[in-house]
Amino acid sequence: MSVKRETAERLADEELMPLIAAKDPEAFEVFYDRHGGVAYSLAYRIVGERAAAEDVTQEAFISIWRSGARFDRTRGSVRSWMLSIVRNRAIDSLRSKAGKAPKLTFDDDAVLEQRPSEELTEEEAMRRETASEVRGALGQLPGEQSKVIELAYFGGFSQSEISRMLGVPLGTVKGRMRLGLEKIRGELAEGLA
Amino acid sequence: MTDNVHDRWSEDLAAYMLGALEPGEATELERHAEDCERCRSEMRWLTAAVEVLPEAVERHRPPPRLRESLMSEVRADARAAGVETGSAGGGVLHRAGSWLQGLGSGSHDWRRLAGLALMALVVVALVGYEIGGGGSESGGSTTTFVSGKAPGVTAEVVREDNGGELRLADVKKLPEDRVLEAWVRRDGEVEAVKALFVPDREGNASTTIGDMRGVDLVMVTTEPAGGSEVPTSSPIATVPIPQ
Repeated sequence: MSVKRETAERLADEELMPLIAAKDPEAFEVFYDRHGGVAYSLAYRIVGERAAAEDVTQEAFISIWRSGARFDRTRGSVRSWMLSIVRNRAIDSLRSKAGKAPKLTFDDDAVLEQRPSEELTEEEAMRRETASEVRGALGQLPGEQSKVIELAYFGGFSQSEISRMLGVPLGTVKGRMRLGLEKIRGELAEGLA
Repeated sequence: MTDNVHDRWSEDLAAYMLGALEPGEATELERHAEDCERCRSEMRWLTAAVEVLPEAVERHRPPPRLRESLMSEVRADARAAGVETGSAGGGVLHRAGSWLQGLGSGSHDWRRLAGLALMALVVVALVGYEIGGGGSESGGSTTTFVSGKAPGVTAEVVREDNGGELRLADVKKLPEDRVLEAWVRRDGEVEAVKALFVPDREGNASTTIGDMRGVDLVMVTTEPAGGSEVPTSSPIATVPIPQ
């Protein structure tokens, strides 16, 4: 039993999840169309290869399709949950390929601007604004802070590994991560004020 | 929880949030955080900073073959699970929408609320959203059904034997010439509940439903004073009643 696509399109992500858990392909297709782009982009950012990014994205979404009921709305948004699954799978993929170095740039403004304006929903526009704020915040971070955040989140390196890679004390890595995240958080809070 | 213990773990919170702790360390921190409100509070604060990181990556369009491959696998899974696929057949949500359109509104709100009603039914089926079941008296029983995740008004129907009580909360103040009217769906037909009601100052409202037998959906609309024979506005609340 499946819903019509136009009906599913009107549902929020949180409302789609029970349908996906009930194995509704139309609901899942809408879910993929909403988030497949950012999921693939995140996977590509982490693994650095299109074929591997496709594999990661496909595995992540199949995992969601087969375990959609595991989403717990008390622990955050569906999108964040989905992206955490993509990240974890991408990091696993990266770790399986020894010596893979992550890309370390956030210069995506030009690419975003190239997207057709008619694709911009209000929600997507807000995400762009948020993305812009994050890039701004990251751009303002001292290089040593943004580097440890990127190595950890996009590179999948532990703080101990980062300490060894950069040749700085572990406590310094901890401090840089903390200061960097707090600065981003502060920028977000200011943006909402 | 002493400050020293908290401080020791607090140093690792950012790394934890970024997934940069070793698995054993992460488990230990999680165990500590269960009893440390300060750590949990700091984690909540930092969560937003971490969740926006993937939003800032350079966007790339996934190749169309990824969608095709994914949906092919998904539809095969659905077929194996006995789920009707494709949109031509409609499905239960479509039929609910058609029924609601037949009430005379035909607006998108009706279809959306039909969707919400179905959502609540699915939730009932999946996680047992039905509440209550106790309160038996003289062989009777009480069961409470709650509305789906509709924004704004919350609604519940407390069923007792063959009757029921509809309770609403967070209802906005109505214009003086409007009232609340409840409707039930029974055997696919919509019937007005013969009682009009209005919310109190706190936004609470309730009315009695005399006969709940065979009812699979309860809805509330705002209507002109004196009520209507058929709904003339989109429902402000819907409560599915699993049969």
